[in-house]
Amino acid sequence: MEEVKCYMPSTLIEALEIKSKVDCIPLAGGSDLMVAHKRTLGLTPKFDKPVMIIRNLPELRKIYINEKGECVIGSGCTSTEIAENTLCPWHLRQAASRMGAIGLRNSATIGGNIANASPKGDTPGPLYLLDARVKLSSVNGEREELVSDFIVKFRTLDLKSDELITEVIVPYSEDDFDYIFWHKVGTRKANAISKITLSQAIKFAEDGTVADYRVSATATGAKTNRSRDVENIIIGKKISAELIEDVIKAFDGVISPRAMPEFRREATRRMIRRFLSVAATHPENKVIDTYDDYHVTGQPEPRRK
Amino acid sequence: MVAEDISKAVRRVDAVAKSNGTAKYVPDYDFGDCLWARMIRSSIPRGKILNINLPELPEGYTFVSYKDIPEGGKNYLHMIATDWKCFAEDEVRYVGETIGLLVGPDKTKLEDLLEQVKVDYEEMEAATTIDEGVACKGGAFVNDNNIHCHLKLEVGKPDEAFAKAAKIVEETIETGFQEHIYLETNGACCVPEKNGEYTVYASAQCPFYIRKSIAPLLNISPEKITVKQTTTGGAFGGKEHFPDVLCGPLLVAAHKTGKTVKMIFDREEDVEFSVKRHPSKVVFKTGLDENGNIVAMDSKVYYNVGGYLASSFVVLQRGCFHVTGCYEFPNFRTEGFGVATNTFPSCAFRGFGAPQTLFAIETHMCHLAEMQGLDPLEYKRRYFIKQGGITSTNGKIVERVMIPEMLDQVLKASDYERKIKEYGTGKGKGIGISFYNHGGAFTGNGEQAIIKGKCKLRKYKDGTVEILCGQTEMGQGFHTILPKIAAHVLEIPIEKVIFDDPNTSRVPDSGPTAASRSTMIVGELVERAATLMKPRYDKEEEFEVMTEYEHPEGYPWDQSTFQGYAYLGYGWGVCAVEVEVDPCTAEITTKGVWSSHDCGHLIDEKIVHGQVNGGILQGLGWGSTEVLENVKGHFKQTSISSYIVPTSMDFPKQGVYFVENPYEWGPFGAKGMGELVFNGSAAAYIDAVSRAIGKRICSIPCPTETVMNYMLNGKDIKEAL
Repeated sequence: MEEVKCYMPSTLIEALEIKSKVDCIPLAGGSDLMVAHKRTLGLTPKFDKPVMIIRNLPELRKIYINEKGECVIGSGCTSTEIAENTLCPWHLRQAASRMGAIGLRNSATIGGNIANASPKGDTPGPLYLLDARVKLSSVNGEREELVSDFIVKFRTLDLKSDELITEVIVPYSEDDFDYIFWHKVGTRKANAISKITLSQAIKFAEDGTVADYRVSATATGAKTNRSRDVENIIIGKKISAELIEDVIKAFDGVISPRAMPEFRREATRRMIRRFLSVAATHPENKVIDTYDDYHVTGQPEPRRK
Repeated sequence: MVAEDISKAVRRVDAVAKSNGTAKYVPDYDFGDCLWARMIRSSIPRGKILNINLPELPEGYTFVSYKDIPEGGKNYLHMIATDWKCFAEDEVRYVGETIGLLVGPDKTKLEDLLEQVKVDYEEMEAATTIDEGVACKGGAFVNDNNIHCHLKLEVGKPDEAFAKAAKIVEETIETGFQEHIYLETNGACCVPEKNGEYTVYASAQCPFYIRKSIAPLLNISPEKITVKQTTTGGAFGGKEHFPDVLCGPLLVAAHKTGKTVKMIFDREEDVEFSVKRHPSKVVFKTGLDENGNIVAMDSKVYYNVGGYLASSFVVLQRGCFHVTGCYEFPNFRTEGFGVATNTFPSCAFRGFGAPQTLFAIETHMCHLAEMQGLDPLEYKRRYFIKQGGITSTNGKIVERVMIPEMLDQVLKASDYERKIKEYGTGKGKGIGISFYNHGGAFTGNGEQAIIKGKCKLRKYKDGTVEILCGQTEMGQGFHTILPKIAAHVLEIPIEKVIFDDPNTSRVPDSGPTAASRSTMIVGELVERAATLMKPRYDKEEEFEVMTEYEHPEGYPWDQSTFQGYAYLGYGWGVCAVEVEVDPCTAEITTKGVWSSHDCGHLIDEKIVHGQVNGGILQGLGWGSTEVLENVKGHFKQTSISSYIVPTSMDFPKQGVYFVENPYEWGPFGAKGMGELVFNGSAAAYIDAVSRAIGKRICSIPCPTETVMNYMLNGKDIKEAL
């Protein structure tokens, strides 16, 4: 039987000390790593480095609202825990609740989903949309960085060898917007990888102009796509059919899908057009989806703080 | 006491063991000091093997190849044809072709060694699609035209009818690869016994096939090999012949090492390197009169057979026999071509060639109606075949055809007639309907001429009765069905009937568990044996009765010309599917699925219901999400997360209906149904989707991105063909 050297720290400090001394792979839920490193049936997965299991570090399993009103999620929180916790922003809960299969959601963590740095990852879309940051800890201290900067490109992170992702801090939620949109086109209706997912949010000013608009797309390029320049096209203005088309055209220039490009581009265009044109009519329901009969259209579950 | 009507559901005999984990699958058998095997396979689709570079093998590890086949042994697997090699010699024809086995005691060590094996090839240009195969890309490698097998059927006078037709239209319908995704992957084990005998344990449908297929490797008689079926977690045709591809090399390895050798595939390996459903292309040429009625139809049926023929000619035959679907056309011709390509050989898969041509005819009929502005259902109604109607092989339909009654059930349950008018075409909602059948058991008189199925019943002192036959339980419910038939005839509780997984040395050969024949044919053998046993049951302590299949007189079949009564009992089906399309994303939401089936009399209503649900879902997956691309000979989707089998969330609860139409020669009136229930749902789904988006769809699978492409670039559903 092949041996894998494993560290199992019981506190975060212990984990950071190990990380500072040993070049090791942190493993939380294992739902990506155990698959990536598996060999054939009945064999121990093959890791070329030691593994540090951080699954049960209590410091990484908390969800709370900090003094600035931001939602803080421990990097070891599972998708199920996030999906079920109404402190977490709506977009993120939607993404967490539709990630993979139930068993996977019970083990996969938000820290792992970010660290996997896959353009098809479920949580980065909402995290980009809401300007979320990661907290990176080491024996030498802490620093914070936007998730969108931290994920440099496909499978590449701005992570130093002695650092661990310890928290995800989300400054915005659906409370900051008038209308919200999240739609995942999966490979199937459940237990699915994203073919494309679009997250959107909009807030209007008193005079009816757009105070804020955001859109992020998953599985449309080498990493999750979002562009403040594109959003600025419509911010400060009243929604018009021409402006919507300008946003669509500009966002089309941001995304770079390789597989099924026609589908991914057209679905993106249609979902942006749908959201902005419906939001412009100021409907009663806060949640806007791809069409009226769609089952999730309505009001989001109220946040508890 | 026994229930009055046999249809009343009983608890499945295998339910508890499979639920609580006590059922023993092939990996669960502990053989102690056993060796493990890993396959060394071709990594290129076509070429010559120049050199096999092995690492230095430690003691106890060995490489097994064709060179280890003893003198007199033959390097092939007997799977109807005998062209599929057990081990590649100097050429390879597909990615995944077995070159050898690496065998040794430690699995990890074996894996490390396997990673160091390198095979040098001289690569040749490969043909992987039907078109490339027909065009002999890279040069023909089967005959001089890459056609493995061919047949032609004709009814009436098609040439004369075409000459008189007011209009002739042409259309091509295509279907893709499909992987079985049985829950349990393939696995087998070979144990050398005394006196040059062997015991094979395998997850398999047809233990007698294995024995016959692999015995020539060692030039021994099949009786020297005992095959024991282990609990089998699903098969769908994927374990009809394919286990031979594991068992053959294992037998040679056991012969060489003198030790027990075991091999279990992991999921990726099983998806990437196993047989699939044949991709198909059907080219229709249809002659219409001035009123749009069909006066003649010609179809060319192409199946992608892959590198070796194996069982594919029989698959192609069934495909051609079913290309007229549930219709009778006065003048008709079909020509079938089994095309050689450099893909993994295609083999049996639920439906065995019939689903491809049934999808083609149903879709073509819809398009013929739509282009004339006619309702597809009304158009199809004109051609429904009836009892006595002439089939594609110039035989007659023997039984009563209850399509009108089944259609009534489905129309009522689905509210089809209101919806078809209300939804129109291109308005985001659609309802579709399909008609299909499946000839039960082996074609023609094959059951008597080829299989000669036998079955024994043995009564013991304590009153228990054992069924001895080769039929297998693979999840379909046969461990319940057969004892239920015996118990019902003998009027004893089902618990008093024993029916174990077959062991070829203990049971007579009752033929394969395939072709929707087990209930219909072997069920009847058991019914007859139990009837013979009944008057003696109370009088004699221990005795045995045996029955053998006898074909009813008066229904001739000529296997050399494919003329006559191809099937005495068909299962029949009607299926309606309703969908809604997301206008932004092209996602299809299925709102309803309703079906009615004629499977004669039901032996167990719950088991049949389960087969309907599963078969329809599997057909819907084939038609929608189950994309399996072959890129340069390699399957691209090789895991459960990339090969998209639908979940219960993807399709709603089904409305399931039956008609009662007892089959004269079946046990308690039962007919075959395991494959029938797969055959029609894809066509109904595609009919519904194409109506919802208003575009013509001519190929499957049709995943979301393809629906979007049709929405953007597709031809209007009403456009002339």
